[in-house]
Amino acid sequence: MTHKFLSHQELSSLVADLLAAKTRVIAPVRAKDDPEQIDYQLIQCFEEATFGVRLPRRSLKEFFLPPTEVLLHYKQTKAGVEIREVPTVAPPQVIFGAMPCDVAGLATVDKVMDWDYSDELWFGRREASTIVSFLCSAMDATCFCTAVGLGPESASGSDVLFTPVDGGYVANLITPRGEALLHNYGSKASDAQLATAQEKQRDARRKVEPNLPAVSAELGGWLASNFDHPTWKTIALRCHGCGACAAVCPTCHCFDIVDEHESADEGVRRRNWDSCQTSLFTLHASGHNPRASQSERFRQRIQHKFSIYPSRFGEILCTGCGRCSRVCPGGMDLPTILGELVNLSQAKPEVSGQ
Amino acid sequence: MNIYQPNLMRIREIMDETVDTRTLKLEFEDSSLAEQFQFSAGQFGEYSVFGEGESTFCIASPPTRTGYIECSFKATGKVTQALRRLAVGDTVGFRGPYGNHFPLEEMKDHSIVFIAGGIGLAPVRAVIWNVLDLRDQFKDITIVYGARTVADLVYKRELEEWAQRPDIKLCLAVDPGGETPDWKGLVARIPTAVEQAVATAEDTFAIICGPPIMIKFTLPVLEKLGFPGDRIYTTLENRMKCGIGKCGRCNIGPTYVCKDGPVFTAAQMRKLPQEF
Repeated sequence: MTHKFLSHQELSSLVADLLAAKTRVIAPVRAKDDPEQIDYQLIQCFEEATFGVRLPRRSLKEFFLPPTEVLLHYKQTKAGVEIREVPTVAPPQVIFGAMPCDVAGLATVDKVMDWDYSDELWFGRREASTIVSFLCSAMDATCFCTAVGLGPESASGSDVLFTPVDGGYVANLITPRGEALLHNYGSKASDAQLATAQEKQRDARRKVEPNLPAVSAELGGWLASNFDHPTWKTIALRCHGCGACAAVCPTCHCFDIVDEHESADEGVRRRNWDSCQTSLFTLHASGHNPRASQSERFRQRIQHKFSIYPSRFGEILCTGCGRCSRVCPGGMDLPTILGELVNLSQAKPEVSGQ
Repeated sequence: MNIYQPNLMRIREIMDETVDTRTLKLEFEDSSLAEQFQFSAGQFGEYSVFGEGESTFCIASPPTRTGYIECSFKATGKVTQALRRLAVGDTVGFRGPYGNHFPLEEMKDHSIVFIAGGIGLAPVRAVIWNVLDLRDQFKDITIVYGARTVADLVYKRELEEWAQRPDIKLCLAVDPGGETPDWKGLVARIPTAVEQAVATAEDTFAIICGPPIMIKFTLPVLEKLGFPGDRIYTTLENRMKCGIGKCGRCNIGPTYVCKDGPVFTAAQMRKLPQEF
């Protein structure tokens, strides 16, 4: 593993050089509508970026799976229908200050997007992107990345991981793409800098770990064999089915496909974000709905994330970012719910409190 | 061309099956695609009307008849109603074929009992014609088909053709009250019709498709006849958008209808959670 040291000035020059070369640069910035909040956004100059303040309101998902995107353009003519394709090659972009949980989510969703049929729109953007994540320093009581096998220092999905040290950053070069990005920038990191970075990573982990014990591998099996457990009847009583959790989730990737007229004879086919928490999601034209109640829909959310996806792709479909809990108008708290399910799944519930 | 972009097909022929059910015969606009296109009985596709959207149906014609595909649908939702407004020569989109298929290789040299109710005959019909086109590779063929009323029977012209063939045992049924004065078939529900038409499960596969209530009451009849769960095949449907495992809505517990199905054995179905 290769490490480098980048001073603040060198990072600033790197971003300026990228912008000068017309590369799209995305970074956390203060939200225009609420300066307390942070959004990932395209930036025009380095000074706009605000690193390490708090978790951005939404994950990085929208830069790879936009909330709405055109799949094709159609035009009705006298002779028939003409289709105009949309490009599957995306312009190069570099993301700075990505949260490790958000980047890990992208790597997890790659699995389903490549399941026998490769989604060129998703991978077109993935391949055009270089991701520089920063050690998370914005954790709060709702974070639980360490419980789902990740951590504030996780490098999953990142090309470079930055850890702040005095005067700049220790850059952990993870992929050849990350090495290429920093090829002309930075210098050799000193042993002291590396030691400081490691200590900071350990500290960051220690801040999250008490929030929720690790979700055991057995939970997935328990969920699969307890599809009809009575807890599903009560666990979702506070859920309104609004789908806000799915919108902010780094790993929720379900979508709808709809056509939209743009004039009498022209229009587009679109892919839009969707959520398994809404009642229309599985509704048949006949009126039959396989998931007719909110408890069934919430069961799907939990089963998909913690049992179905792990059994299919070997990874939990959750990065522990905690956004679903923060935005839920009904107070559904995923770490609490996970804790309850883990307790149920263990024959003899352990007494914690050490 | 991304994976969600359909190929263009033209409506070559329109056949009304019932007052609300219609069959479209479709041909690829691109003649090289028409030659390359291959599928197996039981697979499905995403059919679209541009400006209205996509809808999921099986391919109702057999793979042994090349150069075209057929789909049968009931005008129920936005897309199916729009499909019904189209005329011969109009363009539709098609993505597919997707999903698994009925394992005809495994059924060779065996007898097959086909059981269908209502428009459930559409996917079964693809297999029936596939088998009939390779008739000497199979033993006895029995078809039990029923609908609520005589007017609800689909593919009537083909039912007549099957009735004439000496190498098929055809048993038609309508629900009590659904018969007409000149109705010559059974007046019975499907489970009863199966009891009357099927004598043995020996060396026989069963393929069944229809409303859930029909399947629920027919499976015990088949089991009583001695059909093991892995020799009874059915095809499931669920709301889909992508058809290829990504949009996240057709799963029944851990099982994706689009990727693991739509064809399942009764033994596989019994293991599924009750979520369909």
